[in-house]
Amino acid sequence: MDALILARLQFAFTIAFHIIFPAFTIGLASYLAVLEGLWLTTRREAFQRLYLFWLKVFALSFGMGVVSGVVMSYELGANWSVFSRAAAPVIGPLLGFEVLTAFFLEASFLGIMLFGWKKVGPGLHFTATVLVAIGTFISAFWILSANSWMQHPTGHAVLPDGSLIAVDWWKVVFSPTFPSRLAHMLLGAYLTTALVVGGASAWRLMTAPTQPESRIALRMAIGMLAVVAPLQLVAGHISGEVVRHHQPLKLAAIEAYWETRADQPLSLFGLPDRKAGKTQFEVAIPGAGALAQGVSRETVLQGLDAWPRSDWPVVWLVYWGFRIMVGLGLAMIGLGLWGAFLVWRGGPERSRLYLWAATLMAPAGFVAVIAGWVVAEAGRQPWVIYGVLRTRDAVSPVGAGQVSASLLAFLIVYAIVFSAGALYILRLLHRGPEEAEQAPKPEDRAPGSALAAPSEAGETPP
Amino acid sequence: MPTIIEGPPGRETPKPLLARRLIWFVGLAVASALATVVVAYGLKALLPPL
Repeated sequence: MDALILARLQFAFTIAFHIIFPAFTIGLASYLAVLEGLWLTTRREAFQRLYLFWLKVFALSFGMGVVSGVVMSYELGANWSVFSRAAAPVIGPLLGFEVLTAFFLEASFLGIMLFGWKKVGPGLHFTATVLVAIGTFISAFWILSANSWMQHPTGHAVLPDGSLIAVDWWKVVFSPTFPSRLAHMLLGAYLTTALVVGGASAWRLMTAPTQPESRIALRMAIGMLAVVAPLQLVAGHISGEVVRHHQPLKLAAIEAYWETRADQPLSLFGLPDRKAGKTQFEVAIPGAGALAQGVSRETVLQGLDAWPRSDWPVVWLVYWGFRIMVGLGLAMIGLGLWGAFLVWRGGPERSRLYLWAATLMAPAGFVAVIAGWVVAEAGRQPWVIYGVLRTRDAVSPVGAGQVSASLLAFLIVYAIVFSAGALYILRLLHRGPEEAEQAPKPEDRAPGSALAAPSEAGETPP
Repeated sequence: MPTIIEGPPGRETPKPLLARRLIWFVGLAVASALATVVVAYGLKALLPPL
């Protein structure tokens, strides 16, 4: 393998690892704010115990997200120096804004969340939690802005030496694909968190069906899934329409449109064969492609044949990445609606089948997020900045041996450090809030509180 | 980890003055930001000079 492929593999590995953590912490920060807000307004101890439990998971995930993110900034300099030199005047400020306005906000007020509840009091502590949640949102804003500019660059000029400068920052920050991609990513993050919270709660309810914290958390997760998963379908469709307008080649790869024509089929499954220029063993609905795109059957949709083969992305990767994402999204809608039905009928904890389904779906959000990013990033190839800088021209003048060595080092370090972190989080999730050592000490409990008399808080199992 | 995360004050615990709580709020935020700055500049120092 040459240095280009190895550098791409390395970035794919590190970024796929990194995205797991922000995809989780964006939703978890908001969840913590909701839990603390509910505790402040109702004073039910269960919300407080859930907060303290998920705060531990948040702190660990946040830390691992920071560490895995730092690696990528080094990688940009080490393996992608040509890209960094050319695009730094545009991308650099966006990433800098992310650090200054989002990361510092999160890092500063996380300290209060962890160490300051007694010192600052409930009101100011809640303020800190809300600020951290806002910080995760702002972080997603800047990162999606930078990535969306790479997907469809606007507001820049190319200098004679090939480097880029921003001539209209408004157009750089709010490039055409940005709003729909930001909405799609944020909803994906909320779904990822809901699935983990729901899955962990379902797992514990299988052994302790009356456990109040897990019952509350499962219901909250079901509520989120039932509302947000269908919304995500709409957001995804809008994002697809934006892709059709601005990146028709990516759409052709997603849908395996090999030829430009009207009345395109809707390909459900198959094996895209780049050499043969067709999808082998395809299961497709004739003419339904126009329906999926929201256009008339007479509308001509561009196929891959409209571009030279050298400009095609890896079709099978984009095609299957999209189907995995959509398939899991539909499963999330099903899980949410099924759970809502069970809540209406008396309680999801009574259905062992549902608890197993929720547990098995716990990692589905991570898989869907990674699959979605594969569609976005592999679908943009062979460009690193679409239409401006090709990936092969963006790599550093490094040898395959150097990149192999750093890739091997990453594999080993990640395997050790992140496996330990992930195992610790899984152990925490297995134990659950009921066993959390952070439960309020007896002297802190108010007389008549929920811990003292669970039935007062209405948490006695039926 | 469980021993260092601080839980909420009990309902019977007397509430400190607002000024004292605000000082803690700002102090903890600044201390956390400074800790982040130290780590960030420490990492930057690892980079070879251009």
